[in-house]
Amino acid sequence: MNKVTVVSLAGNAFHFEEPAHDAVSAYLARASRALSTNPDRAEILLDLEQAIADKCQRFLTKHKNVITAEEVAQVVREMGPVQDGDDDAAAFRTDTGHATDAQGLQGTPRRRRLMRLPSEGMMGGVCAGLGAYLDIDVVWVRLAFVLLLFPTGGAWFLVWLVMLIIVPAARTPEQMAAARGESLNAREVVEMARRKSADIGKAAASGLRDVERNLRETFGPRN
Amino acid sequence: MRFLSGPATFLTQGSLLGAQAVDLGEKFISVRKGLLEFAVLRVVAGEKLYVAEVLQRLAGTEFATQEGTLYPLLSRLRRENLVDYEWQESDAGPPRKYYRLTEAGQRALAELQGYWQHLTETLNRIGK
Repeated sequence: MNKVTVVSLAGNAFHFEEPAHDAVSAYLARASRALSTNPDRAEILLDLEQAIADKCQRFLTKHKNVITAEEVAQVVREMGPVQDGDDDAAAFRTDTGHATDAQGLQGTPRRRRLMRLPSEGMMGGVCAGLGAYLDIDVVWVRLAFVLLLFPTGGAWFLVWLVMLIIVPAARTPEQMAAARGESLNAREVVEMARRKSADIGKAAASGLRDVERNLRETFGPRN
Repeated sequence: MRFLSGPATFLTQGSLLGAQAVDLGEKFISVRKGLLEFAVLRVVAGEKLYVAEVLQRLAGTEFATQEGTLYPLLSRLRRENLVDYEWQESDAGPPRKYYRLTEAGQRALAELQGYWQHLTETLNRIGK
């Protein structure tokens, strides 16, 4: 038994097994990155989504309405890796597409960078950044910083102050991913999912407005 | 060097290479990559086609490619004003983008063909 998610591809709803959904998100995230400098990125991504939707359609019948992980793997293989223009030679090596796209969601973990995380800290994000760097819960880092004030007669405060000044702040998603040692790949997927759900929220809101308008027009006072 | 005798024969008779095609395919990979644009322009020169049809025409030739390559390429050709598309309703599913050659695209294709002709003539002439 598999868990199923509903996804919207180019404006149509599909039922995907969860790993299938992850694979498509990862493919689109890679495509988005490959096209990061392309002025038509949004349009191409939509075309790709539409092509994936068309390919998925053939797996659906009256008695089968869920796209499986294997089917999506096949679709992704058929689509081939997305490359922007001048990337030499790779265009015809369709067999390598599998290897590239089988990497999955995670990508290679990166080395962490020590950065402040102001958006997550109480003051400057020094402790939050150090916690992310050391992979320790921020609460323990804060506690250590406060407790160390006593034996040092408050001089430890200077350590915090110096770090506040010399440790750079992570502000963009890329920097925050670097601070945690996450690959941007995984982070992009999460970002994309968040954007998608925001869109759905907007669509729902405009749908509600339509309903409200219809009700008003039907039952409202006539002029 | 028979297979270099012209664009049309190159496109249709490439499979004559048969067993050697593996090595030559690898060797000429950057040539084929460079010529993909040429092949796509030729394919859409004849008629209005949508992407799946373009892929179909190229499948089984040296220029077989995939959506991941073709969409960015078509989008660049459109930016360069060589192809254009129009939306057309389809019986099965959502409307599709049908691509066709623009006038500038026709000129560019004629130029490419002339240059290709020139290259093959040069190759046939030298070293004999």
